[in-house]
Amino acid sequence: MAHQAHAYHMVDPSPWPLTGAIAALLMTSGLAVWFHFHSTTLMILGTILLLLTMFQWWRDVVREGTFQGHHTPPVQKGLRYGMILFITSEVFFFLGFFWAFYHSSLAPTPELGGCWPPTGITTLDPFEVPLLNTAVLLASGVTVTWAHHSIMEGERKQAIQSLTLTIALGFYFTFLQAMEYYEAPFTIADGVYGSTFFVATGFHGLHVIIGSMFLAVCLLRQIHFHFTSEHHFGFEAAAWYWHFVDVVWLFLYISIYWWGS
Amino acid sequence: METIRYFKILISHVHVDCFFAQGLRPGVPAESPAMVFATPTKVVSEAGSTVEYLGTNRVPDLQRLFQTSDGVPIHLKRGVPDKLLYRTTMALTIGGALYCLVALYFAAQPNKK
Repeated sequence: MAHQAHAYHMVDPSPWPLTGAIAALLMTSGLAVWFHFHSTTLMILGTILLLLTMFQWWRDVVREGTFQGHHTPPVQKGLRYGMILFITSEVFFFLGFFWAFYHSSLAPTPELGGCWPPTGITTLDPFEVPLLNTAVLLASGVTVTWAHHSIMEGERKQAIQSLTLTIALGFYFTFLQAMEYYEAPFTIADGVYGSTFFVATGFHGLHVIIGSMFLAVCLLRQIHFHFTSEHHFGFEAAAWYWHFVDVVWLFLYISIYWWGS
Repeated sequence: METIRYFKILISHVHVDCFFAQGLRPGVPAESPAMVFATPTKVVSEAGSTVEYLGTNRVPDLQRLFQTSDGVPIHLKRGVPDKLLYRTTMALTIGGALYCLVALYFAAQPNKK
């Protein structure tokens, strides 16, 4: 290792930014090709390339931090800022969809019957599966906090169990939501109600899946002794993301499921 | 001598060989914990009450592997599996980029009707 007179991380040259950029090109042009020429080859190729890039890039970050010791306190601080800024950008992403929902629902047009929910829409009962989903995500927030404390206290078995439970609750939410989507009496094509409902809850569901994957990677890392009681930022980042997903659901539940019904 | 050896085994549940390798010492076994396998090698924080829960700690070995000063970049440092995955990814990248340019060229042609 070259010896440096500073605590920062000068990374090795890496091909992953290039492969990631090409993956984005292939996915977007592939989408256009799919729309106009009914061929999914390019888009699928782009998706595979994206998955390969993500796997290898993040594998390298784990190697640099856990195995090479490059994640000194100032470096970790940078990683924290990075995660916070990313989550903030996601907050703005969801804000857009909430704006769309409130724009349409606060002043419903005559085409909708001048009311919200619009005429002809049978809404989902907020006190059935949606309430269960709320309980499931809130419980998962508790279990992820339990996992964090277990890691900090060096309780290996408890950390593994509570993290597994968190992931299981995440999968249970996704399963319940998938069932709701299948059974719903309205579709995405049912006017602005359908659009706002499925786009907002759909992107949220995607984020639950992403968050569950992140936590699953943390579980594997915890099993392989990567985390110490003092240094486990990967897990903290996953927990922050999970709490963000939980809060977005609470806003969705209150706005779309409850007030909007 | 024999009684001292058996006495130490009785108290510490330590593998016999490590005492033989270091010679018989009258007092505390000093810095030997690294060689103890009956109770698992514990990283500072992993002081759980159970023994050997889901595998042993391979992090120190991996740390040694990834810290070798051979000038190999991090994405290739594990050797063959890294090289295979990198080459596959790069092949898909370059091939995909060319395929994309060809597809876009044809997509850009006006529709003759």
